[in-house]
Amino acid sequence: MAKILVVDDEEHIRMLYAEELTDVGYEVVTADSGYKLLERIEEEKPDLVILDIKLVDYNGLDLLQDIRAKFYDLPVILSTAYDTFKEDTKSLAADYYVVKSFDLTELKKKIAMALEAREESG
Amino acid sequence: MEENPSGVQKADIVVAIPTFNEVTTIANVTSKVDEGLRLHYPSLKSVIVNCDNCSTDGTKEAFLATETHSEKVYLSTPPGVRGKGNNLRNFFSWVRDLQPEVVVIIEADIRNIKPLWIYCLVEPILKGAGFVVPLYVSHKYESTIESLVLYPLLRCLYGRRLRRPAVGECAFGQQLVDAYSKAEVWSQGVGEDGIDIWMVTEAIKARVPLCQSFLGAPKVHRLKEPFSQINRAFSNMVGVFFDLMGPFQDLWLKVKWSRPTILFNADTLDVEAIAPMEVNIYRLYDLYVRGFDRYKFRLESILHLPEMRKLEEVRNLGFGNFAFPDHTWAIVLFDFALAYRDASPEDREEILDALLPLYYGKVVSFVKKTERMSTQQAEEVIEKECMVFEENKRYLVNNWIKT
Repeated sequence: MAKILVVDDEEHIRMLYAEELTDVGYEVVTADSGYKLLERIEEEKPDLVILDIKLVDYNGLDLLQDIRAKFYDLPVILSTAYDTFKEDTKSLAADYYVVKSFDLTELKKKIAMALEAREESG
Repeated sequence: MEENPSGVQKADIVVAIPTFNEVTTIANVTSKVDEGLRLHYPSLKSVIVNCDNCSTDGTKEAFLATETHSEKVYLSTPPGVRGKGNNLRNFFSWVRDLQPEVVVIIEADIRNIKPLWIYCLVEPILKGAGFVVPLYVSHKYESTIESLVLYPLLRCLYGRRLRRPAVGECAFGQQLVDAYSKAEVWSQGVGEDGIDIWMVTEAIKARVPLCQSFLGAPKVHRLKEPFSQINRAFSNMVGVFFDLMGPFQDLWLKVKWSRPTILFNADTLDVEAIAPMEVNIYRLYDLYVRGFDRYKFRLESILHLPEMRKLEEVRNLGFGNFAFPDHTWAIVLFDFALAYRDASPEDREEILDALLPLYYGKVVSFVKKTERMSTQQAEEVIEKECMVFEENKRYLVNNWIKT
């Protein structure tokens, strides 16, 4: 069972993602901020991270750079309510991005693709 | 032919500048490269190599006369042997003996090269990457062969997202120095403009860590009218890509989805503006229509029936309503790859000739679709198109295995 770390400062998003992704067979752990995120990843060893771009305390794109530097191969899906982040070159380092929505069809599809791609490249 | 005035036998960093008659720009590029090496790597032994095609305009003399801190070496292919790929092949076999940690390739006609670019290309290799390609700030219509053909195909087949796989500049480490000098697959197209896509694909095959390095500036080089000399470049680049699909099939048949490539220097705040660029879509549309009609019978033998019908539909839309659907474009390229594989060497050239008008049509469609969009929005259109390629890869794999 793949383990997913959801990093989002909005509680209802964490709950929604956790519930829906658990229902389809993933193990889900959550974090409400970017504080000590790399340590958390080290500890939890997730197979994939869903990362909010606009966290209260951190910029998700900077966190993405940090994750890439330390966990080169870890799939990261950016989750956002805004489109403007794509103007930042740093966003290219993400596997995929999804726009936050209550319908998680797209997110589930991207999760499956990212996990499969990692398996192939590994 | 070699001129090695300082008798260089070993180096940490080697920068190669391939040329053919570049007397007006070689001195500036050499000087900026040298400045970059001196500023950023003063303690490493650096060599600048002019890999030439026996230029007759004084390129060699201009290069050797440029004052540099780094050592300089001049290499040339035998008289009459032309092409960037042949230059670099000559260079690969020579540079192995120097056992460099990093090799950088820089084109000689860049007008705005900065010393910092050397750092952006060398540093990722010193930090563990195996192959680096620069990411310039680009106009949405710059190098549409990459945007509409090579990037989607490379990404879909090999699962690596390298946005500018044939940009001309790159850097690589020791592992690829060996791999390039011993590579088995070579062709006339690789000897010419196909060398860049060949190097990228060989790097993927060697499984070295890939990196894109953001330079924060456009590449300003010799002004060429877009699409003016495209036939040969298109045939070389696409031909080399198709040539490699056979020998590298074990590498791509099992890949399903792509993954991002690590990005260096993404934090840079100093991003330069892009110069405007005009694309004459009326002329391209005319080339598309005339080419389509000329190669219609050839297309019928290359494409599966539903795609041929779809193309005829697209052909009859007229300029005002013209649009080349992404799905059709993906399947067309897949069918061409299959036909190319099964064709004799003589027929392969004609297959690529028949693809060129369709590419013009795709460019027209892309320009029409994105003319009011920002560069970023146009990038998203390309990203979506790449997803269409990935989602339809099964079609290619099934037909590749079946036939």
